[in-house]
This record gives sequence, structure tokens and C-alpha cells, in this order.
Amino acid sequence: MKKHIFRSILIVAVAVLVLCLGLMMSVMYRSLLAEQHEQLKTKLAIITHGIEEGGVYWLENLDMKGYRVTLITSEGVVLYDNMADAASMENHLEREEIADALQSGSGESVRFSSTLTTKTFYHAKRLEDGSILRISFTKNSVLSILLGMLTPVLIILVAAIILSSILASRIAKRTITSLNTLDLEHPLNNNTYDELSPLLLRISHQKRQIESQRSELNKKRDEFSLITQSMNEGLVLLNDKGVIVSINPAAQHVFRTDASCIGKDFFIVERSSEIRGAMKTAADSGHGQTKLRRAGRRYEINASRIDFNNEAVGTAILVFDVTEKALLEQQRREFTANVSHELKTPLQSIMGRAELIENGVAKPEDMPRFGGCIRSEAARLLILIEDIIHLSQLDEGGELPWENVDLYEIATETLELLQDTATDRKVRLSLAGSPASVNGVRGLLSEIIYNLCDNAIKYNHEDGLVEVSVSDDENKAVIRVKDTGIGIPIEHQKRVFERFYRVDKSHSKDTGGTGLGLSIVKHATLLHNGKIEMNSKIGEGTVITITLPK
Amino acid sequence: MRNRFDEQLAILNRELIEMGALCEEVISMAANALLTGDTELARKVKPLGGEIDQKERTIEAMCLKLLLQQQPVARDLRQISAALKMITDMERIGDQAEDISEIIGFLNGRTGRDCAPIGEMATATIKMVTESVDAFVKRDMELADAVVEYDDVVDELFDQVKTSLIGMIAKHPQDGEYALDLLMIAKYFERIGDHATNIAEWVLFSVTGLHRRENVT
Repeated sequence: MKKHIFRSILIVAVAVLVLCLGLMMSVMYRSLLAEQHEQLKTKLAIITHGIEEGGVYWLENLDMKGYRVTLITSEGVVLYDNMADAASMENHLEREEIADALQSGSGESVRFSSTLTTKTFYHAKRLEDGSILRISFTKNSVLSILLGMLTPVLIILVAAIILSSILASRIAKRTITSLNTLDLEHPLNNNTYDELSPLLLRISHQKRQIESQRSELNKKRDEFSLITQSMNEGLVLLNDKGVIVSINPAAQHVFRTDASCIGKDFFIVERSSEIRGAMKTAADSGHGQTKLRRAGRRYEINASRIDFNNEAVGTAILVFDVTEKALLEQQRREFTANVSHELKTPLQSIMGRAELIENGVAKPEDMPRFGGCIRSEAARLLILIEDIIHLSQLDEGGELPWENVDLYEIATETLELLQDTATDRKVRLSLAGSPASVNGVRGLLSEIIYNLCDNAIKYNHEDGLVEVSVSDDENKAVIRVKDTGIGIPIEHQKRVFERFYRVDKSHSKDTGGTGLGLSIVKHATLLHNGKIEMNSKIGEGTVITITLPK
Repeated sequence: MRNRFDEQLAILNRELIEMGALCEEVISMAANALLTGDTELARKVKPLGGEIDQKERTIEAMCLKLLLQQQPVARDLRQISAALKMITDMERIGDQAEDISEIIGFLNGRTGRDCAPIGEMATATIKMVTESVDAFVKRDMELADAVVEYDDVVDELFDQVKTSLIGMIAKHPQDGEYALDLLMIAKYFERIGDHATNIAEWVLFSVTGLHRRENVT
């Protein structure tokens, strides 16, 4: 730009200079010529007068200094010429100025010399005797004048060019400096040419726009990383070359790596055949899925190809921890198997007896016993089904009647209900404590106490003792059921709350349990946001403590 | 130009990792088949071995193309030449795993559990292969050194296997053929350990430019 400005200024300066010089010279030349024409005319008039007064001989004494005077007869013969020999000159009748003078009394013409370097002006006048007096002077042409002036003109030109180039460079520099020192960080704070202000305004506007877009982008990125950081699922993003672009902490944990792997090939981090297979399927068909076992946990891996404009630009890998899901799945399967088994056993016994009666094999006297058996098996079945319904109700978590209930009152009622069973098994029951009111579902709380006491009676020794205590605290109520029974082996303690789990694998009918009691207790307690604690020693007994928040 | 070269080197690296992973897979499959007597699993080793051979040819062609077209020097040249050497060892590992699985077919349903050290040897060899591939993947000098050192453990285990097999033949002469098969398998494991050592040494070479036990003169 500096160069451009410099060149423009220089060209303009030189052009103006040359033009001025030319114009001035032509104007001066013209005015010079006009003056000389005037002089010529005056001289002609004087000489004419002189000749008319003193004849041709007057001419001969005349000193004309550069002017050429010629006297020509009306026939065109040269009579006198002050610069050449008159006798040797040709007939002048054909000359333009002579012809004009003959005709109209006076004539003039201009002729160039053969080399064009000189120009001759002729003025002619007819005298009274009919002869023609002609006066002329020769002048250098413009071209030759110029040539004569070449050296000074050139000197002036060169000097002018040098001067103007110095000036031009200064001006260009000054113009540019103010552009160069523009503060583009703060476009509006500049004090510069007015012509630039629309541009600066625009820059400032765009700057603000870029700034806001950048902050928007940053916000988006932060949001994204925040989401992926706190995600439980692992997320790995790869580019089209399989290089890690982003990996969240969950995925870092699964693949046992850290953030330093970003920018490296994913295969450096994980090269198992499952992953490679899933990524290959993802690359081919768009989606790949696989399962992975790592450090005792199970993961499900989903690899998806990311397409943009029908071109694969990368892969997204999602890692789900499915350990719990798999465990639940297994429990569900076990539950189904257990339920069918538990339902089948009494039914088979009922069927067997019914068949005996149907075929008439049973003796009439045995009939009442068979009937009793069928009834008791059916009753067992009913209890089982009721328990299952109960559990599924708890699972469903439907609308239950919540009210303020007194645990002590419930415990009293429950113990009364169980008194007969306890007496049968020669177990003593005792209740201690004070009224404790909690907000809960009466039926479920009663179920909790019933099941706990029922177990405490069933798995007790003869002459055993079951102590129930209800205590009330500021923000919690505690039910404790303590027995002097057989106790639960330590390896079973964790599992007794599972459905159908029984310490006694023979599923014996002696105790008549369904294996669902403690499961119901657990669910009902959880529903009340309570906690269960179990302390048990084989041969000494078990203490189960239920803490319910108020 | 350099960019494209780097891209090709990255692809080469990726292929090598895949080949290494295939080796790990094939050896652990063979070892599993040996310890469980699962001939079905042993049969699956062969196609994987074929895959490894295929990979070797692919990588070989890739390396030669890179050498010809890019005329690499210094580190790049080391990386490519080390790759060329490494694939030979990996391919051998694949072949020997195939051989092991073939022998498993002749064991008549017997497993390698009758000779305790062979199970240990299998585990040790798998560890060596995994770690040598790991050392390559992560350019981990220390791990590579550890692999080279660990070869002595495998050699020691091989001696134990021999002693145990000699005892077996002495006690049950009718088990001679079985013992010889196990000896072959143990020898293959020992060879696989050597190949893993070689891989680790080539990893050291590709990074430092010095082969093991070689000094700048």
C-alpha cells in the first residue's frame, strides 16, 4: 500500500510537471510569434514607406538584422534581396504570399524548411508601382527550441522527480503510519481518518460477534465435558483414524487409563478382540455391540459410527456397567425357578392323594386323614401365594394407607396372635418397651413384627425365649426381636433376606416356612425408609433390630 | 508429504497392535484349551492363526512400500525395520499356538492338569506375550526390559516340566506318549517365550536404536 501511494503521488507529480511545462512553452511560443508578426507588419509598413520615398536604393543602405527583405516585380522577378544574390533567384510568382499580394494588396504565409527545424514567416505587400515587397524572418520551430532547452528541462525534470519522490515517500509513510498504528483490539478507540470509521465500526461489531460466539462455544464445550464427566456410562469419542478425541472419567476407569491418552490411537488403550470386533462392525454397518468383563464387572459396549455428509468422521463408544443388571437378572431367574418349585411340591402331594381317592385305592377309614392332608397342603399353598402376592404388592409400591400407628400396640396384638404357636413349641414370649408412634402402613408394620416373631418362635429351642422390645426415640422408633434360637451361620446372614432363601436347603416342612418371610420384612422396612440390623451367633440366638424413621 | 507419511506410520502401528492382540488371543485360547481339554476351543485356534499369517503379509507389504516410497531415515527407519522383524516373531507365535492346539487334539481328552508346572508355564508365557505387546503399544522401555528378564522364569518352568514328566513316565510308563505330547507343548511354550523376548528387544531397538547387549562403539 505504501508503494502504491508513493507511486501514485509520483506519477501525478511528474505528469503535472510535464503537462505544465508543455502548456507554458506552447503559450509562450504563441505569444512570441504574435509579437513578431506585429513587428513584421510594422517593419513592412516602414520599409514600404521608405521605398516609396527613396526608391530601391534606400533599401541597400538598410540594415535589417535578421530580417530578409525582397523586392519582386509584378512578373515575379527578384529585383533585390538583402541576403542572397537577386539575379540567381527563381521567379517568385508562384509563392503563396506573392500571389495573395498581387491579388489583394497584401499576403502572408508560413513555410517550414526542409528539415522542419526552422519556420519562415513571410509578409508581402504590393507597392504602388505594382512590384511586391516581401519581408520575412526565420524562426526555430518548437521542436528545435525544445531540443535547445533539453538540458535545463531535463535538469528541472530530474530535480522535480527527486523532490517529488522524497515528498511522496514521506506522505505515503505518514498515511500508512496512522493505518499501521490502528489499535484493532479496541477499534472504536482510534483517532484516525474519518473514512476508516465504517470499517472500524464493522470490525468492532464482528469482534463482539466472534467474542460472543466463542464464549457460546466454550459454554457448549464446558457443558458437554461437564455432562460426560458426571456420566456413569463411559463415553469415548474417536476420530476417523481411530484416535481418541475425548474420553470421560468413567471410560478412563473401565479401560484403566487417564486423560493423557487423548490424541493416541484407541487400540493403544484397548486392543481386546471384543472391542476390535465391535469397532469393525460399527465401521461396516454403523453399529457394533459387545460385552466385556473387566475386574469382576460386566460391561456392555456400544460402538456407533458417526456420519457427517455420508462420510464417516469418527466413532462413539458407550460403555455401560451391567453388573447389577446381570445380577438382578440372575436373581429373577432364580426366583422364578424357586416359585415354580415351591408351588409344585404341595400340588403334587395334593394330586397324589386325590388320585388315590379317585381310583378307590384309599380305604374309607383313611379318607378323613387324606382330606386333612389335602386341606393342609392347600392351606400351605394359599399361604405361599398370599406371601407372593404380598411381595409383589411391595414391589409394585402401589398406593398404601399411611397413618400414624403405635408399634407397641401392634406388637401386643401380634404376640397375642402367635401365643398359641409359641405354646405349642414351648417358647415363652415377652414384650417390653413403651408406645412408639410412627407414620407408616399398619398392615406392613404388623407383617414385619409377625414375621420376625414367627421366625424367632420357629427357629427356637424348646423352653426358648423370644423378647420383643419397642423403644421410642426423638426421631426414630426401634423394634428389637431377640431369640434364644439356633442362630444363623455367618455365610447365610447376607442372603436370608433373599426370596426363597433358606438356611435349611431341604425346604423342610417341619417349620412350615415359605422362605419369603424375611424378604417381606426387608421390603416392608425399605418401604418405610428403615434399616435392618442382624446379629446372630450359632446356638445362641439372633437379634434383629429394625429402625424406622419418624 | 510428511503428514501422509505420519498417517501411514499410524496405520502401520495400528495393524501391529491388531496383530499383537491376535497373538495374545491365540495363545490364551491354546492355553485354555490345554487346561480344560476343550478340543472345540482348540479347533478355533487354526482360523486365528490364518488371520495372523494374513496380517503378517499385509504389514510386510506395507513396510516395504513405505521403505521404497518414503526412504525413511533415523527413527522412522528403525520403526519400520523393527516392525518387519517383529511380525516374523508374532507369526511364529501364531504358528506355535496352532501347533499346540493340534497336539491337544491328540491328547484323547486328557488335559494338561496332570503336569502342574505346564499350567504355570502357560500362564507365564501368556503374561510374556501380553507384556511384550503392551511394551510395544505403549513404547514402555521398562516393561520391555521386564519381559526380557522374565524369559528366565519360563526357562526355569520348562526345566520343572521336564522333571515332572520324567517322574510321570517312571511312575506310569503307559503314559509315555501323553508325556511326550506335553513335552512338545512345553517346548512350544518355551519358544513362544523366546519370541516374546525378541519382540521386546525389537521394541527397545525401535526406540533407542540399540539392540540389546549392544553398545555404542
